[in-house]
Amino acid sequence: MAKDPENYAMPGLDYTADNYSTMDQINTGNVKDLRVAWSFSTGLLNGHEGTPLVIDGVMYINSSFPNNVYALDLNNPGKIKWQYKPKQDPAARAVACCDLVNRGLAYWPSDDSKTPDLILSNQLDGHVVALNAETGEEYWKVENSDIKVGSTLTVAPYVVKDTVLVGSSGAELGVRGYTTAYNVKTAEQVWRKYATGPDDEVGIGDDFNEANPQYGQKGLGLATWEGDAWKIGGGTNWGWYAYDPSLDLVYYGSGNPRPWNETMRPGDNKWTMTIMARNADTGNLKWGYQKRRTTSGIMPASTVMMLSDQKIDGKDLKLVTHPDRNGIIYTLNRVNGDLVRADFLDDTVNVWTHVDMRPGIPVRNPEYGTRMDHKGKDICPSAMGYHDQAHDSYDPERGLFYLAINHICMDWEPFMLPYRAGQFFVGATLSMYPGPKGDRANYLGLGQVKAYSAVTGKYKWSVMERFAAWGGTMATKGGLVFYPTLDGYFKARNADTGELLWKFKMPSGGIGYPMTYEHNGTQYIGIYYGVGGWPGVGLVFDLQDPTAGLGAVGAFRNLQNWTQMGGGLLVFSLDGKGPYSEDVNLDEYSTEITTDGT
Amino acid sequence: MALAFAAGGALAYDGTKCKAPGNCWEPKPGYPEKVKGSKYDPKHDPKELAKQGNSIKEMEARNAKRSANFKKTGKWVYDVSKI
Repeated sequence: MAKDPENYAMPGLDYTADNYSTMDQINTGNVKDLRVAWSFSTGLLNGHEGTPLVIDGVMYINSSFPNNVYALDLNNPGKIKWQYKPKQDPAARAVACCDLVNRGLAYWPSDDSKTPDLILSNQLDGHVVALNAETGEEYWKVENSDIKVGSTLTVAPYVVKDTVLVGSSGAELGVRGYTTAYNVKTAEQVWRKYATGPDDEVGIGDDFNEANPQYGQKGLGLATWEGDAWKIGGGTNWGWYAYDPSLDLVYYGSGNPRPWNETMRPGDNKWTMTIMARNADTGNLKWGYQKRRTTSGIMPASTVMMLSDQKIDGKDLKLVTHPDRNGIIYTLNRVNGDLVRADFLDDTVNVWTHVDMRPGIPVRNPEYGTRMDHKGKDICPSAMGYHDQAHDSYDPERGLFYLAINHICMDWEPFMLPYRAGQFFVGATLSMYPGPKGDRANYLGLGQVKAYSAVTGKYKWSVMERFAAWGGTMATKGGLVFYPTLDGYFKARNADTGELLWKFKMPSGGIGYPMTYEHNGTQYIGIYYGVGGWPGVGLVFDLQDPTAGLGAVGAFRNLQNWTQMGGGLLVFSLDGKGPYSEDVNLDEYSTEITTDGT
Repeated sequence: MALAFAAGGALAYDGTKCKAPGNCWEPKPGYPEKVKGSKYDPKHDPKELAKQGNSIKEMEARNAKRSANFKKTGKWVYDVSKI
């Protein structure tokens, strides 16, 4: 189904999560003729993350809190086919760390006569719902996360076979991360595995990391913590997944340990900050590679996983590539977890001195460390990472990853604080500002977009952006790389050279990622607008203190001069060709015009 | 294990000196090996630490009732008091 250009059925387009389309109707030669074909407002503000799905001529749209879902018929997108507007406890808003975002929907195609096709949606208040894809009616609804203990949901659900995987959020409130698989037909819990704690709860068996025992094996979910700190240890996974059906392994990253004050949690804090490969049926870990936090507490996160098959050093390898918050892009053998490459996302990374490839570890730079009773300065990357929730892309013909990168550094000072369930548990004060290649006097130059080869470890091209490239990219066979920017542009660059070929000014900044589909022979490209997320918290919640919003307010103080809030979808095609340009009378209430004879 | 003894000479915690495979943490100079009893003791309240685990157990029990009822009746009822 994912191979059919008429569909866009899951986050990242297909199980490789490479967000690469084989369509070339829109290409480097004609992209200058790309125009809006139609648009849709969700009726909500706040950050609009993720991207819509298209299945069998119907588009499914997710929104920010309260996580409305809309279905539009592509033959006449002006008429809303159905809408689902959940009633959620408004208290959920108060425990969301980083705006009221949601990263998208999932789709399950029915394989029996009993269960309808389903659209799966996660809600900020912790519910997971399955909706009848035809009617929008609730088919089932379970409780996955409890806002009373600070646990929310922003991650998109992910369908593998007859299960839906659901992640977790709330590490900023000390939530111990877990991932759950539900049977889509019955809503029964199939498995639930944690990021910290006893081996059986983490999903560690006898063959875990057998190819790389130096990564650690049994008992470390407890042994790398002091006392019971693992119970509030973080490791939530709110990012993206990928899946290899031939290995039956699901790939994702567990998030940060908590609190941010690292003096309060001695130890390696396993298995947070880990690239995980779990068996889809049992949830057990085949392998896990902890990415290592820096001495400054910059912590790896649940960022995108992209699968590729490439030849490196003469060997044909099945790979997973992962651009992390900590400034390193990792490439591992996805069969057994061997570390194949680890490169800096930018040469201004200073929290590591270098990557020692022989044992496979990045070496920490103590000079840029953080600790109690000390203010660390000029630390790169910042806590927002050199890469965050952006869903990037990979072009298998060019062998290039197109990365949406942040260029933000910081000062960081931790403080002691107690843990109270349901309250924020951060324990650090941050100031963030542009990295060395940006304009620190004017707080601009906070982002980059780059084309990276995991074979050479080199960047074929790089370009600075005014603000962090927060949403992600899409690559196409037309030789184009598309991405939205926080200052409200939707851009297309030449995939080979990085040359800017086209852009469009959207109503608001973009923090989702682009998608494409074909309908009635025409290629369309869709993108959400609606600024927000962590970089938008100052603008969204009208904050002034530069250290507010976990330090993001100061870094993005100038964002308001380029954009305001919004919320909706733009759909582009060549010359703006679409249902209404083809037939202006489509969806008219009446075509009969009466006159009074004058 | 090559990993355990990879880098020599670094005086401060750089992540390369491992007690065991996968366990390479060291205190930074002047900071304690254990925070319990030190001035950085988080003094966690065990009752607070137990809240997440209890909440998940209760949600799992309610969900199990809902899906069992769904399998039996073919209708989803969210409110467990009505099952």
